Amino acid sequence: MSQEIAVIGSPEFTTGFRLAGVRKFAEVPDDEKDERLDGTVEELMADEDVGIVVMHDDDLDHLSRGVREDVETSVEPVVVTLGGGAGSGGLRAQIKRAIGIDLMDE
Amino acid sequence: MAEDVKPTRKNLMSIEDRIELSERGHDTLEKKRDGLIMEFMDILDQAQDVREELEDSYEHAQRSIDLARALEGDVAVRGAAAALKEHPELTTQSKNIMGVVVPQIESSKVKKDLDERGYGVLGTSARIDEAADAYEDLIANIILAAEVETAMKKLLEEIETTKRRVNALEFKLLPELHENKEYIEQKLEEQEREEIFRMKKIKDMMEEKEAEWEEETEEAVEDPLAADD
Repeated sequence: MSQEIAVIGSPEFTTGFRLAGVRKFAEVPDDEKDERLDGTVEELMADEDVGIVVMHDDDLDHLSRGVREDVETSVEPVVVTLGGGAGSGGLRAQIKRAIGIDLMDE
Repeated sequence: MAEDVKPTRKNLMSIEDRIELSERGHDTLEKKRDGLIMEFMDILDQAQDVREELEDSYEHAQRSIDLARALEGDVAVRGAAAALKEHPELTTQSKNIMGVVVPQIESSKVKKDLDERGYGVLGTSARIDEAADAYEDLIANIILAAEVETAMKKLLEEIETTKRRVNALEFKLLPELHENKEYIEQKLEEQEREEIFRMKKIKDMMEEKEAEWEEETEEAVEDPLAADD
């Protein structure tokens, strides 16, 4: 089954991806992120045609706790965050919990 | 709990069997955990490289689209973006690493030629082409990162469960079983001692009775003589 990439973020963030051909996108202006981002993320993550969700790392702060946890642990679709450097997206904490040491320590 | 088991030889034997099985399971799970961690280390190196590349290509893509926006205007960039017809597609296959199914993502139509993009070449400038190019590279890197990071997440989940199982066996089940075994052994020993004591007691009582009986018979033998006198 072929899937697609979806992008969520401010209009400035999504435009570039649309230029590369991404069809599924959700534009949430910065001042509405606190209210609308949770619903939008949940909606896109429930979409079976979406294989990868791309978000900006800063946008994770606008999500409520439960949705953020889903985003960080979800495998189908997998959420890739940009702009947060290595070890972003909760992966670092998960490594620390599973292995016992912080392997992403620079 | 040690008090819940009946101190019988049958229970002792079944507990010994369970201890053997649990110890074998514990060893196997420990090996699995170590194997998974080694696999994870390999992927971690790869993931860190992919992440670095991803961040670099994101910065590059952002720079190029900012430039395009500054020179061509936001409307032109958005217009070109809305004209795209071909979209990248992903197909997922799976690979098995020590029982953990990790995805292998294949992508198509990520890199496109200028004439495949859908917006008019004449109406747009090279800046927009460059930005589209940079974002196509970024998407290729995102797909790579998604693959590696999913594998990492799945491996980590498996490591966590295996670790929890190993710990449950090591610190909960096995100590309890050993405690139960010891309890039954002690109870059985105590019963044995009681049994020996009882036997000794019975022996004493029997000996006493025998002595009494002998005395009586002796008296009975002596008595008829006395009666004769």
